[in-house]
Amino acid sequence: MLRFLFRRSLGAIVILLIISAFTFFLFFAAPRDPALLACGKNCTPDAIAVIHKNLGLDKPVPVQYWLFMSGIVTGRDFAVGHCPAPCFGYSFANNDPVWDTILDRFPTTVSLTIGAAAVFLTAGVGTGMIAAWKQGRLIDKIFSSSSLVLSSMQIYFVGPIVLALLVYNLGWFGQPKYVPITDDPVGWFLGLIIPWFVLSLIFTAQYTRMARSSMIEQLQEDHVRTARAKGMTSRTVFFRYAWRGSLIPIVTIFGIDLGSLFGGAMITEYTFALPGLGTLAVKSVQNTDLPMVMGVMLFAATFIILLNIVVDACYAFIDPRVRLS
Amino acid sequence: MNTARTHRARATVVALSAGALVLTACSSGAGQGAEDDQGRKEAESQRAQIAFGDAKASTGPAEPVPDATPGGTIKVYQRDTYDHLDPAQIYVSDEGTLSTLIFRRLTSYHLDNKGKYTVVGDLATDSGKSTDGGRTWTYTLKKGVKFENGQPITSKDIRHTFERTFADFISNGPTYVQRWLADAEGNEYRKLLPGGPYGGKHLPDSVLETPDANTIRFHFKKPVGDLPYALAMAGYSVVPEKGDTKERYDKAPVSSGPYKIAPGSFKSGKGMSLVKNPNWDPNTDITRHQYVDKFDIQFGVSYPDSTQRLMSDSADNQTAVSFNNQVDAASLQQVAATPDIKKRSTSGYQPYVGAINFNMKRLKDKKVREAIAHAIPIQAVLDAFGTPGGGELAGSYISPTLTGHKDIDPYGKLKKPMGDVEKAKQLLKEAGKVGMKLTFAYTNAPEPQKYSVAIADNLRKAGFNVQNKDLPSDTYYDIIGKVDNQFDIYPSAWGADWPSALTVIPPVYDGRQIQDNAPNYSHYNNPAVNKEIDRISQLTDQKQAAHDWFALGEKILKEDLPQLPTFYYKQIQLHGSKVGGVVNNDIISSVDPTKMFVKK
Repeated sequence: MLRFLFRRSLGAIVILLIISAFTFFLFFAAPRDPALLACGKNCTPDAIAVIHKNLGLDKPVPVQYWLFMSGIVTGRDFAVGHCPAPCFGYSFANNDPVWDTILDRFPTTVSLTIGAAAVFLTAGVGTGMIAAWKQGRLIDKIFSSSSLVLSSMQIYFVGPIVLALLVYNLGWFGQPKYVPITDDPVGWFLGLIIPWFVLSLIFTAQYTRMARSSMIEQLQEDHVRTARAKGMTSRTVFFRYAWRGSLIPIVTIFGIDLGSLFGGAMITEYTFALPGLGTLAVKSVQNTDLPMVMGVMLFAATFIILLNIVVDACYAFIDPRVRLS
Repeated sequence: MNTARTHRARATVVALSAGALVLTACSSGAGQGAEDDQGRKEAESQRAQIAFGDAKASTGPAEPVPDATPGGTIKVYQRDTYDHLDPAQIYVSDEGTLSTLIFRRLTSYHLDNKGKYTVVGDLATDSGKSTDGGRTWTYTLKKGVKFENGQPITSKDIRHTFERTFADFISNGPTYVQRWLADAEGNEYRKLLPGGPYGGKHLPDSVLETPDANTIRFHFKKPVGDLPYALAMAGYSVVPEKGDTKERYDKAPVSSGPYKIAPGSFKSGKGMSLVKNPNWDPNTDITRHQYVDKFDIQFGVSYPDSTQRLMSDSADNQTAVSFNNQVDAASLQQVAATPDIKKRSTSGYQPYVGAINFNMKRLKDKKVREAIAHAIPIQAVLDAFGTPGGGELAGSYISPTLTGHKDIDPYGKLKKPMGDVEKAKQLLKEAGKVGMKLTFAYTNAPEPQKYSVAIADNLRKAGFNVQNKDLPSDTYYDIIGKVDNQFDIYPSAWGADWPSALTVIPPVYDGRQIQDNAPNYSHYNNPAVNKEIDRISQLTDQKQAAHDWFALGEKILKEDLPQLPTFYYKQIQLHGSKVGGVVNNDIISSVDPTKMFVKK
């Protein structure tokens, strides 16, 4: 196990280096000069040169990349003061320290993700299993067709409708918002209940379909047939033999989904004006804000890679046939 | 300022600002139709009355807002975060609106309860006394003005405020006063005080003089008539000499207005809180109130989102406003058609005038430019931005919000807003250019994509071989800002920084300003016009200057036609039913936060 983790960690670092280099150099391939954003009304080539110097953009791109990457490990000094490791620099747009901004936004994204994931995982897998258990019956048809309809929906469509109905017209809920759980646990729950509902709605439908098909596939496996032939009850066969095997594809997709959501549920955050990593990522790209783009990209990529490693490690526990070596 | 409809400065050209205009409709209730005409007439009559106030006009406290009661919290929905809190870095309207609550400067605009604007002394006792033919301006500080920490504001702080704008790290804010003091163009002014005052150097007394703790004297090489306007810009708000943390000041500025930033509350992209500043004395301030206990500002709320929230007037939103979010174009009809929502709206002009540029380096024949002008359906351009309320068809380069504006229509565009294809066809034939290739560039933003179809269609009917070029919106101004761009016609918008065309005609039509990224997008250069710009710039008689600027704009339009004006931008904003004192303030292109209160 340790060898596995060590090997995968090394691989993860290489992948992150590739992502960082790709993002950094791609940024400079874009036809937009970030200095123009910080240049006043009467912008002149002289003024742009001053801003290039202020932002460190006057140095060759490889040097800038080296300074950026070494800052993550050793920290850097800027005009506004020392930036301790891990230093991703300061925003071009507003001089915010990138790492602090990410840490500030992350709790919103984590709250949104964990709440929604709890809902879509339990509801999605639960309904999918029931549909598989009752395959071909009315309940299966209801769940299957509902999931088909819901998985065709989009958050940017469902979100405003739910808001209009539940908040603006019926007044059953307050305006969605993020309140730190440490400040007000009830406010945290009530503020996020609608975003959780909307985000999980689409995911639940997808997990229902996936869990159903995975379970049906498992129920046709040889070891399940053998168990049935040995006279075991349907319940035992379903939960003891088929269920574990059906989890493999679900865990795989869940790991990827969770990692992506930790990097920011952009549309959901935008729809409900939640200040998470998703909205930060979008704004940074719009602002040609290289340090912030790099910070968010690497942070999100780290989560996706980490969760992939966790998922791979989980295989061994779920399915004894899988060996990490 | 170019990117109209966005508050965020795209800074090369954008200017946004605190500046522009005179009042139009400071009444509540989005106007349309006949109401618009009435608002327009009021605006025109008030425009002529804007004056530089004396000591009496500048003495606080401000007259009470009718029915106002103290206390309560107002929620504020904003699309964009405040990128800068250091006043010297402020040039966009969002921060400009905020600055009215937390910062004070030498002069400011007073909007009285009747809707009349006056330039008054803010920290200063009056709007300024000029001598030496407008080359010397003297200001005296009011007694009892303080920063939020109780430290008195002195002439040294004012000197420091201007001197620090010469530092290299200040790159976003206005540069008018610096350039006037240095008598230099572009970035050359920085040579007057390289690095700013941080090395212990100061501007010489022959430039900026502080003979005592309360007196500040500006010495310019050339006459400056617009100084009281310029000093009212948010970018020239006072910064304490002791307590200036240079680059770090951008995150923790010191307040001098009725509100201060609650410590630690500012989170970029999330929100901030403003609480009362106990060291603000209402008796020293003619322009501001302190009715509300607290403003809770939330960032990241889009226009459609804030519109839905405020239209609903649900329990959470009754005490909510937005300082700068407008009603989104798709909801304008609903706002206009729903009396309950309409009465919770305010409308007013923005300083921008939209125009279609003609590239003078490529379209040298005026008859061709005239043909294009006649063909373009300016109504289609306006409709794309939302009606009713998105704007008003334009006949001149000078916005109705500027002193000196008159209604003109030299090409009959207001009579035939959908274009006169027959006339265009005839002119093109006379020019012998039927079938000429015409490259039409525009951004891929939703509005230009809508109106570009109608424009191209009319131009084709008129006999042009139109080639459409759809450009990415985030680099649009960089591309059309190139002197050697390969396009014939392309839209842009420009707005004034204060109610004088000094901030419109020279940047947009002075041929000596032609360079990459400069706002003379049509690359127009007429030596006679340049000479006239120099003459009017030095007039100290504001009435004469306003008249002459408009006359020059009209002459450029009639004789050379480097741009076709399309429409004057307007905006409609909403507020919750329990927020009182909500009036539009054309100077800051938004609602005026200094008059708001929570209804009991």
